[in-house]
Amino acid sequence: MAVPLGAFIAVSAVLFFIGTAGVLVRRNAVVILMSVELMLNATNLALVAFSRRYASIDERGSVFVVFIFVVAAAEVAVGLAIILSAYRNKPTVDVDEIRQLRG
Amino acid sequence: MFDLIEPALFAILTIGIISAGAGVVLANRITTSALLMAFTFLNVAGMFLLLGAETIAMFQVLIYVGAITVLILYGVMFTPQSPRPYGLFFQTQKFWAALFVVPIAIFVALVAFTFKDSAAVGAKGGDLIPLATSVFRDFAFPFEVASILLLAAMIGAIVLVKRDEE
Amino acid sequence: MIQNVWLIPAFPLAAFLIDGLLGRRWLHKWTGVIASFAVGLSAVVAIGVFLEVLGGQEHTTVTLYQWIGVGDFHINVAAFVDPLSSVMLLVVTVVSFLIFVYSNGYMEHDHGFHRFFTWLSLFVFAMLILVMADNYLLMFVGWEGVGLCSYLLIGFWFERPEPYVAAKKAFVMNRIGDWGYTIGMITTFLVFGSMQFTDVFEHVTIATQANLTLICLAFFFGATGKSAQLPLYSWLPDAMEGPTPVSALIHAATMVTGGVYLVARSMPLFEAAGPSLAVVGTVGAVTAIFAATIALVQFDIKRVMAYSTVSQLGYMFLALGVGAPVAAIFHLATHAFFKALLFLGSGSVIHGLGGEQDMRKMGGLRRKMPVTFWTMLIAGLALAALPPLAGFWSKDAILASAFVNGHLVLWAVGIVTAVLTAFYVTRALWMTFYGEPRDHHLYDHAHESPAVMTLPLIALGVGTAVLGVVVGFPPEQGFIDTFLHPVFAGEGAGHVPEIATLVTLAAVSVAAGIVGILVGYSMYVRHRPDPAAVSRAAGPLYRLLVNKYFIDELYDRRIVEAFRAAFGAMWAFDVHVIDGLANRLGWLAARSGGALRGAQTGVVGNYALTIVGGLLVILAAYGSYAVGIFPR
Repeated sequence: MAVPLGAFIAVSAVLFFIGTAGVLVRRNAVVILMSVELMLNATNLALVAFSRRYASIDERGSVFVVFIFVVAAAEVAVGLAIILSAYRNKPTVDVDEIRQLRG
Repeated sequence: MFDLIEPALFAILTIGIISAGAGVVLANRITTSALLMAFTFLNVAGMFLLLGAETIAMFQVLIYVGAITVLILYGVMFTPQSPRPYGLFFQTQKFWAALFVVPIAIFVALVAFTFKDSAAVGAKGGDLIPLATSVFRDFAFPFEVASILLLAAMIGAIVLVKRDEE
Repeated sequence: MIQNVWLIPAFPLAAFLIDGLLGRRWLHKWTGVIASFAVGLSAVVAIGVFLEVLGGQEHTTVTLYQWIGVGDFHINVAAFVDPLSSVMLLVVTVVSFLIFVYSNGYMEHDHGFHRFFTWLSLFVFAMLILVMADNYLLMFVGWEGVGLCSYLLIGFWFERPEPYVAAKKAFVMNRIGDWGYTIGMITTFLVFGSMQFTDVFEHVTIATQANLTLICLAFFFGATGKSAQLPLYSWLPDAMEGPTPVSALIHAATMVTGGVYLVARSMPLFEAAGPSLAVVGTVGAVTAIFAATIALVQFDIKRVMAYSTVSQLGYMFLALGVGAPVAAIFHLATHAFFKALLFLGSGSVIHGLGGEQDMRKMGGLRRKMPVTFWTMLIAGLALAALPPLAGFWSKDAILASAFVNGHLVLWAVGIVTAVLTAFYVTRALWMTFYGEPRDHHLYDHAHESPAVMTLPLIALGVGTAVLGVVVGFPPEQGFIDTFLHPVFAGEGAGHVPEIATLVTLAAVSVAAGIVGILVGYSMYVRHRPDPAAVSRAAGPLYRLLVNKYFIDELYDRRIVEAFRAAFGAMWAFDVHVIDGLANRLGWLAARSGGALRGAQTGVVGNYALTIVGGLLVILAAYGSYAVGIFPR
């Protein structure tokens, strides 16, 4: 009995929303960044699952995943750079304390 | 007997992903979060292997577990925090966040199970040849653009973090 | 030369631009020279045009370009050169030239010198357009232009309140008349399909009586505004607030004759529209006598001349109304000369006395200002219509035509007005130049004006003296009659009355003039009866005349107050409703902005939450489609 496609998608969904919850709930900026990575992984999983299921018709989901890898890596680098320069400004990574855009 | 290997591996990997993911969000210490994140990545790589996408799995390990985890650890290292009381662990908006996220999660998960077809996931043959053909032939231009994107990100990150030399 | 007729307005236009743009910084006193020279050149070209028309060119249209071409509506910028317009061009340019030269002296010490000549040049340009146009719309451009320049020049010394109030009054009254002109113009187009004179006059028969009467009365209403007839006359005496050359040029010789020219030009229409001519003649006659009565008792020398102008314009309309358009134009030309001379002479007196205009303070000036005196005497006698001066020939032509064509009432009114005219002219001249000086301080400082002012006076004097004889003799068959005959061919008074009738009528006119002079002489020189005693005896009548029949007060109370109330209501509407709406919208924008600002907490996590909230909405929508709650 093979694993149904829906199971993979369900796992992907749950992981995605765990990541979303992490972004919305945690204070530490680095942890938020980690949660974002979780979300990206979840989408990769879903894409690959669909791509492999319908590989005879269309394998391009996997190609897209390659590009997601690239973008995710770039995003982590830049995100950390932002966190670090913000840290230099005011030595906190607490997102609730960064309110200068208020009003 | 061998038929059950797939579902069993799937179950193990699922448990790993979900618990490690939850651990990332809920752990007290940042380093715990970081390492659990790496563990999640490994489990996802396992999922890829289960699906027959070996190349992607290899990329996953190289890029995520290798590079990104290290980057995150660097970030943790350069932003030391004084010990905080537990009360300030979650953002002020945690209530609303939970309210938004939980319904969606349940809904999507339920929807996901409509994909009931149990046709064999994991097509025969690996994914390296189709992948390579696609990337280097059909999507050569996006591939080049992606390399420029990486260059831009690298320069941007360096510029952002540079100290102003007096 | 006719082909170059467009040079005539081009020179003053160029002078306007040069004086206007360069006058203040660089040209100073040269503005006057440039402007005068330009008008002089125009006069030369006008003479050339006149001679060519004299040589036999009946009428020519010189088109410059097509101005409007929309569907059926075509208007060209074109000049219509025929005997009538060539006479008008000549009068306008020659008299303007003399007045320009005079102004160089009169305005010498005024700090607005360049501005004066700028507006004056623009005025001449507009007046020439008015006279040269070959269609009603182009004429209207000139019509409006002279109204504008009249406003600018009456209000020339706007530092004082009286001039700009008078300028406003002149402009508004003109505008009311313009409403009539516009209705006439538009109706003409609707009825005839064209505004060009030749098109309209050739097809007069296709219009109904009602249409023609409407057109003619509308045009005449416009003419009353421009030429200061009842009911739109009261701006002209107030216009004396402007500098005297302006009074001479605009309010005696040229602009106010625009209405006369309009009616004369439109004679084919007026002839075909039954009662219109009667209206014109009656209004003209009534205005003539009405204004003459007011002039009897005025003390400001310029105001006497102003009312005299209104009265003489009444004579011109009277002439048009009785079927003697040639006489009207003839009187227009002679009046331009002697009235301009009277005004310029008054200006010379005022200049010599350092600004005094009240005749009660003058007296005995003939010894101190001889040139002014003699030239004004000639002009005054011409106004009183004594032969052989110009005024006699033209006024007699009018009165003779009135009598011969059966309008005996109008003739009688004309005769009575002639008596009054002679009287008030005598009174004005005597109070100014004869007798004992009433203010010795003024008298001691009085001096004759410089040559730049007296030479034009002499030139006008010569013109006044000889013009009538040269152009109008013998009556009904003189040069002017034959010259203008083709223009007014087909008009009523084609028959030449007998010599005996003409001589009798002339004698009656002259007698009327002499009676007026004798009464004036008797009252003011011999004091029999004494003018002061007469004023006391006349009591209420005298007060009525001195206060100009209280017409201004009547207009103000009845008409202006009503408008003021309406304007007050509109102003309140503007402030409360329109401004209120704008203010409330602004307040609303500010308040809603303030309210929406609450969403910008600055906490980035909130923004992420909002994104997820949006995702929730999308998924809900998609889910309800999928589940079937919302139809696809």
